[in-house]
Amino acid sequence: MPTQPKAGSQLDPMAMPIAFRQPSGRISEDWLAVCIGLLIFALSLGLLFGVDLLGWVVTTSVWTSPAKALVPASKQFAKLPAFLSLIGTYVFLLAILLIGAKALRANLPRFAASFTVFFFVSYGCWFLGNCAYLAATPDKRQALKIGWSLNLTNESGFIIALLAGLLIANLWPRACEKLQEAIRPELYIKTAIVILGGFLGIGALEQRQLATSIMFLGASAIIAAYLIYWPIVYFVSRRYFGFSREWAAPLSSGLSVCGVSAAIATGSAIKARPFVPIMVSSLVVIFAVVELMVLPFAAQHYLYGQPLAAGAWLGLAVKTDGAAVASGAIADSLIRAKALAATGVAYQPGWIMGVCTTVKVFIDVFIGVWAFVLAWVWSARIEPREGEKVKARQIWDRFPKFILGYVATFLLVLALGIAFPARVATIKASMAEANVFRALFFVMTFLAIGLLSNFRKLWQEGIAKLAGVYVLCLFGYIIWVGLLISWLFFHGVMPPVVKG
Amino acid sequence: MTEPRLKDEIERMKSDYEPLLPIEQKLIWFTFAAGVILLVALVLVSHAFVQ
Repeated sequence: MPTQPKAGSQLDPMAMPIAFRQPSGRISEDWLAVCIGLLIFALSLGLLFGVDLLGWVVTTSVWTSPAKALVPASKQFAKLPAFLSLIGTYVFLLAILLIGAKALRANLPRFAASFTVFFFVSYGCWFLGNCAYLAATPDKRQALKIGWSLNLTNESGFIIALLAGLLIANLWPRACEKLQEAIRPELYIKTAIVILGGFLGIGALEQRQLATSIMFLGASAIIAAYLIYWPIVYFVSRRYFGFSREWAAPLSSGLSVCGVSAAIATGSAIKARPFVPIMVSSLVVIFAVVELMVLPFAAQHYLYGQPLAAGAWLGLAVKTDGAAVASGAIADSLIRAKALAATGVAYQPGWIMGVCTTVKVFIDVFIGVWAFVLAWVWSARIEPREGEKVKARQIWDRFPKFILGYVATFLLVLALGIAFPARVATIKASMAEANVFRALFFVMTFLAIGLLSNFRKLWQEGIAKLAGVYVLCLFGYIIWVGLLISWLFFHGVMPPVVKG
Repeated sequence: MTEPRLKDEIERMKSDYEPLLPIEQKLIWFTFAAGVILLVALVLVSHAFVQ
């Protein structure tokens, strides 16, 4: 929906980070994420026809010797040198993203240059995060012949990428500006979520009843985001912080619903000036970083006995898709490692992240409906404008299309597994190859989130009062209500245990 | 082109305070009440039929 800026709205769009700009290409980032995710998913299914199309992609195992860290994903490509596997992965990603960048009308030479740096910095962080002294869990130390490790799992690569992004954004902002074309966290995380659908489909195939319960519980839990969080945040920002309606509504949606996309959708719905949701989005990203650094570790410490409640909590508490799903991935590893060390129970990987993603996806589904409701309330009752009608089509316009890709890969894997039970092992191997790309898109998301978090610039903007609402509502209300709701719906629901 | 500054916006909001309209109050309390009622109902349903 085009916005009609109010008088005085004169923000230069080119001054905004690319991640927050209005799309101007032939295709939205949403649809592009669906295309890229489905392409990788489809290629991975080549295994079902006896063709290993993605086996050359580079994987990184937990290492004590850097020379042995990188290997191709499939044993069929065991003779391929690791260096070539890495270069092949880079060239493949660059090629498909360049096609995407062309559709987005990005500057292609600049995109290619910035993505090259961006990819190798991301991969460097992922590689460091797989160092055995950081990543190894206690049960792996003996095999790796090391006496100690920080037990951070290989997901520590995500934290390193985030820290690297924060350092670059705050210490070398000019370097950060040069990488602008490649800093697209929404594109990367949405692509990762489309691929993740297939990976989670494998889990659902093996545990159909549990997966159905999680769907229902996840769908139920989202009422918190819209009906319990939103009105209180709106009330606090209006009544106690004195924000105008134009500021309070996007802020409430950004804080309650789903970060950047919700703030932008609400801003458009109530016809706020573009500057407003952009400032809110910047704040959302900063606080998502704080949540990402803190909440997975809090979940590991306090909720390792209720792993799925922990996943739902992160889905409800951490804002923006990227940070939420990424924190689910970190918590998945941390909680499984802690549960194994403390109780000897080895949970299957992916379920905690799966619950977190399910909750987040359900929240996303309703952004369009919520924006429509707010648009109607604003245009009909709060700021009525003559002759203006709110159209139901807005619900579809605002629907996050990448969810269609997520649902498609999830259902396709489920259907294939049910139709051909003898081929489940091959489908699993296919999804394992696609999942390597999912991890790469995740690590790029973390780096991009860090790169978007320029604390100094925001402070200069006078963000303190806006941050005041955020801190009060997020840490004083949302986190605790989210915890209560997650516990109400998910306590006692346990992930499957690894057999044998 | 001049970029609006958040500091100026905050100052403007202080001087031109917009009081909560009755329709906003209705929106707040209706939404919140609906959320609490739905939450209780869905928790009961999930404990009875799902878990």
